[in-house]
Amino acid sequence: MAARQQQVCTNIYKTNKINSMTDLTTRFAGLTLQNPLIIGSSGLTNHPDNIAELEKQGAAAVVLKSLFEEQIMAETEETIRAAYQHNLIYTQKSDAFDYIDMSVKEDTIAQYLELIRESKKRVSIPVIASVNCVTASEWTSFVNKIQTAGADAIELNIAITPTDVTQTIGAREKIHNIIFERVKTIARIPVIVKLSPYFTNPALVINSLSEAGADGLVLFNRYYNPDFDIETMTEKSANTYSRPDEYSYSLRWIAIMSGKVGTGLSAATGIHNTETIIKQLLAGAQTVQLVSAIYKEGPGYIQTLLKELEQWMDQKGFNQIDQFRARLCTTGSINQGIFDRIQFMKYFSNIG
Amino acid sequence: MEETNQYLKQERSQPWREELRNSLKAKDRTSRERIKMPEQDPYVRNTNHSEVNNGLTADQAIHEASRCLDCVDPTCISGCPVNINIPKFIKYIEKKDFAGAARTLKETNALPAVCGRVCPQEVQCEQKCFYALKLKKEPVAIGHLERFAADSERESGKMYIPEPAKSNGIKVAVIGSGPAGLTVAGDMARLGYDVTIFEALHEPGGVLKYGIPEFRLPNTIVDIEIENLKKTGVKIFTNFIVGVTATIEQMKQQGYKAFFIGSGAGLPNFMNIPGENLAGIFSSNEYLTRINLMHASHSDYDTPVISGKHVAVIGGGNTAMDSVRTAKRLGADRAMIIYRRSMEEMPARIEEIKHAQEEGIEFMCLNNPVAYLGDDRGRVKTIRVQRMELGEPDSSGRRRPVAVEGSEYDIDADTVIVAVGVSPNPIIPAAIPDLETTKWKTIVVNPETMQTSRPEFFAGGDIVRGGATVILAMGDGRKAAAGMHQYLQNQ
Amino acid sequence: MYRIVEKEILHDLVVKLVIEHGDIAVSRKPGHFIILRIDEKGERIPLTIADSDPVKGTITLVVQRVGVTSHKLFNMNAGDMLLDVVGPLGKATHIEKTGTILCAGGGVGIAPLLPIARGFREAGNRVISVLAARTKSMVILEKEMRMASDEVIVFTDDGSYGRQGLVTHGMEEVIQREKINQSIAIGPAVMMKYAALTSAKYNIPCMASLNTIMVDGTGMCGACRVTVGGKTKFVCVDGPEFDASLVDFDEMIMRLGAYKDEEYKAYQQYLAKIKA
Repeated sequence: MAARQQQVCTNIYKTNKINSMTDLTTRFAGLTLQNPLIIGSSGLTNHPDNIAELEKQGAAAVVLKSLFEEQIMAETEETIRAAYQHNLIYTQKSDAFDYIDMSVKEDTIAQYLELIRESKKRVSIPVIASVNCVTASEWTSFVNKIQTAGADAIELNIAITPTDVTQTIGAREKIHNIIFERVKTIARIPVIVKLSPYFTNPALVINSLSEAGADGLVLFNRYYNPDFDIETMTEKSANTYSRPDEYSYSLRWIAIMSGKVGTGLSAATGIHNTETIIKQLLAGAQTVQLVSAIYKEGPGYIQTLLKELEQWMDQKGFNQIDQFRARLCTTGSINQGIFDRIQFMKYFSNIG
Repeated sequence: MEETNQYLKQERSQPWREELRNSLKAKDRTSRERIKMPEQDPYVRNTNHSEVNNGLTADQAIHEASRCLDCVDPTCISGCPVNINIPKFIKYIEKKDFAGAARTLKETNALPAVCGRVCPQEVQCEQKCFYALKLKKEPVAIGHLERFAADSERESGKMYIPEPAKSNGIKVAVIGSGPAGLTVAGDMARLGYDVTIFEALHEPGGVLKYGIPEFRLPNTIVDIEIENLKKTGVKIFTNFIVGVTATIEQMKQQGYKAFFIGSGAGLPNFMNIPGENLAGIFSSNEYLTRINLMHASHSDYDTPVISGKHVAVIGGGNTAMDSVRTAKRLGADRAMIIYRRSMEEMPARIEEIKHAQEEGIEFMCLNNPVAYLGDDRGRVKTIRVQRMELGEPDSSGRRRPVAVEGSEYDIDADTVIVAVGVSPNPIIPAAIPDLETTKWKTIVVNPETMQTSRPEFFAGGDIVRGGATVILAMGDGRKAAAGMHQYLQNQ
Repeated sequence: MYRIVEKEILHDLVVKLVIEHGDIAVSRKPGHFIILRIDEKGERIPLTIADSDPVKGTITLVVQRVGVTSHKLFNMNAGDMLLDVVGPLGKATHIEKTGTILCAGGGVGIAPLLPIARGFREAGNRVISVLAARTKSMVILEKEMRMASDEVIVFTDDGSYGRQGLVTHGMEEVIQREKINQSIAIGPAVMMKYAALTSAKYNIPCMASLNTIMVDGTGMCGACRVTVGGKTKFVCVDGPEFDASLVDFDEMIMRLGAYKDEEYKAYQQYLAKIKA
């Protein structure tokens, strides 16, 4: 499989490049990618047709839309409710309904496995399965099925919003490690963890997962933002798409941690233009994840970004990404202080 | 509804009913204790396959029947899925007219000997008995009385078989010989139709034969009912899968004008957890079919069965109870139920749970398997189980079982029976184009006529409801026969 | 009751029986099987339909005696009756014109292969059949297979007939010399496993017809379940044919051995009884 992948990478690469000297290949989570642009888990990656189009436009890999534990629970609820309302379906003392959540889960998972299989048939770029989990126990058998279906890697989104006032400090971090380790024990394919932005000490979590053997870490997930509509006085969602300036949080932590941990890092959130891509690469990211930018501009935008990247590299005299990647990361760099500093002292006092 | 009420009032005001009511004061009736069904001793019966319940004697039945107050507003009837005229049949028993009681039952319920044994009366008629609702006492043992009336009729040798109408020569096909199909066949034959039942297995009876064990429902009872059916002119072809052995088109060419689909929910559900395909792990359908239909526990029958010393049954319904109690009878040292919710929430009949407990079945509630481990021959050896706790209620109001993190532990098991429900068997629906089905793979029907999206096809029982009860299947059969009759008369 | 109208012993272990069954003779297609029961106390066993005659209303079964029921069948004669026969079961073989088909039949597996080879040939394919057996006497239906194929190569373990070697040797040879579009393997489970691996080595799609334990044969019990592509499938309703590269043959072989001890004991008891 790897050999074939490499061959195809070279093929597509040859047709898209403007300059035969620029090599955009990069490695992340044990995968060899033809360029650093990964399309993140979203509605863009929910159908084999869409995924094929993304590959055609130059995406190096895709992360499939996520399978949510909550979604399965919601579908189970709906199935139960519909059955109880149906005047003929027997629910009262039914064995099958006693275990209905298992069959709904099975069906939802089966559909997801079908998505993996169908996508793998259509493209040669890596297809990464994405799982949103909140508990450790549910997902271990699922991992086996995902890899049998042909996923090239698993991206774990451990999506526990810290709203539990009784949860002790460190408990969330521990759950991350437990879930990761369980999955890692079973997985024969790379396991990538996509981190939430809510950590007291991101350095600790990033380091700990890296030491536990994470094949890749994605900094950071971007969550649904609640908002209020003051006219109707109801809840609504805000900012479905990220804004181009939302990349700073990831940039900081990629810059701080990329030199400190062995695991490759991928930048996510707010990457809307080539400049930001380059910034993240300079910080030390191996790849970036794009979602909102592609929603807004369409899959063709990938071509634009790749061309601009090549142009910049050409201009600067780089013909490989590793020649400039992590150049501005903080480890061993004179810029260390800027990233550790969080106040606006420099801005106001002209130091540095 | 109005007609039913009128009819009930009319029946109740018959002189014999009045007389019976006046023969004993209400106070004397309500002071009587509910009769205890004579049962085989638990540690004797857990080694044999004879019926657990021995049946009431005539005296016991009359005593129990006298407890019934013959209410002005008989709430028990509303608890019955087919609205049997319960007070009427019970009063016939009190009057010692057992044949009359059987006849009354058969006006609504084609197989009272079956329902008296297997209906979950505790959530149907008996739950709505005046005693339970208002007096907070044990309800009248309606189920035991139904069984008594049916059994005594059978044992008398004079079973009531209604006179069929003149034959009209119209051929109808009944697919499946379970309770729904048998009911349709009986009713259509009574109306003068030329009825043929097509059964895929080699013996008719459906789940009554292969699913429900001898110690709950002897197969001989089912066979007698089927014989009676044949006496009314119904033909039964076994080893015939409609749509496959012959196509629908071919059958129509042979003259069949309407079809009833009663092919049941015979597709076993599995949990799809690791190791579930190890040898020694069975669906309850396979296990029970080997024992009940193929007589695998008898050494002179060729079909083998594997039933070890440490048998675990996953599930909490009647099928799980049947499986685990069968395993005990086959010599298991440990026969365990592993059920993910609590005892109170088990869907099985109360009587089955009670009998199982008495027979030495171990109940491990709030436990759920997560994986099976085998030996080097690929045979199951261990079940990895996780403890559960009850969380928030789901939209049905039942509390959701939630896994307790890190609570896994292992149990030795050499046989596992998975009894987590069944789904509609897909073969027949797949053989009939344009047959509308639901997301639960059941067939869509008009609830009054049981007609499907194809006018010449009717359906009922588990293929319409998912795994349900015998009484509901029979009720569907009755409605479907009426619906088919109306359809055919209008052709 | 279904009458046996013809019996032919193909060799010491294998018998060909022709059974009267008008309905199945008409509705049956290549790939279908039946389930039969000899008598009231008998087991239900699956047997692939090797041939049928819709005009005469008969179906042909080929049975290898390996246990009690198959041995009883072996000893039955024309004129005897079988109590129950039901079918046609399973999904018919998907036959289309693709080019050159390599059929590989091992032992008694040649019987179910015959109608499939014929079907593919009638659809316009070039059909090359490799037949394999332990020894000369066990090569069955060679004449029929020659009529159903463009070429037949025979291999025996002991070299007593045809070439010496296994069916996979035959497959390799054919694959090396010409382009094969599809292979079909039917025989003992372990033979199908290796045939599948051989075919996969050359990226040739391979279809296998699985022979698991069955009880009802209509999807009701799950005794015949196998893992295909990570999913559980029932051989009796989803199969009997599957993409061999996706079949977990090791699991299937283990499940086939589930009753080995009981079956062996029962067979020994039966043999002792009939000798007495």
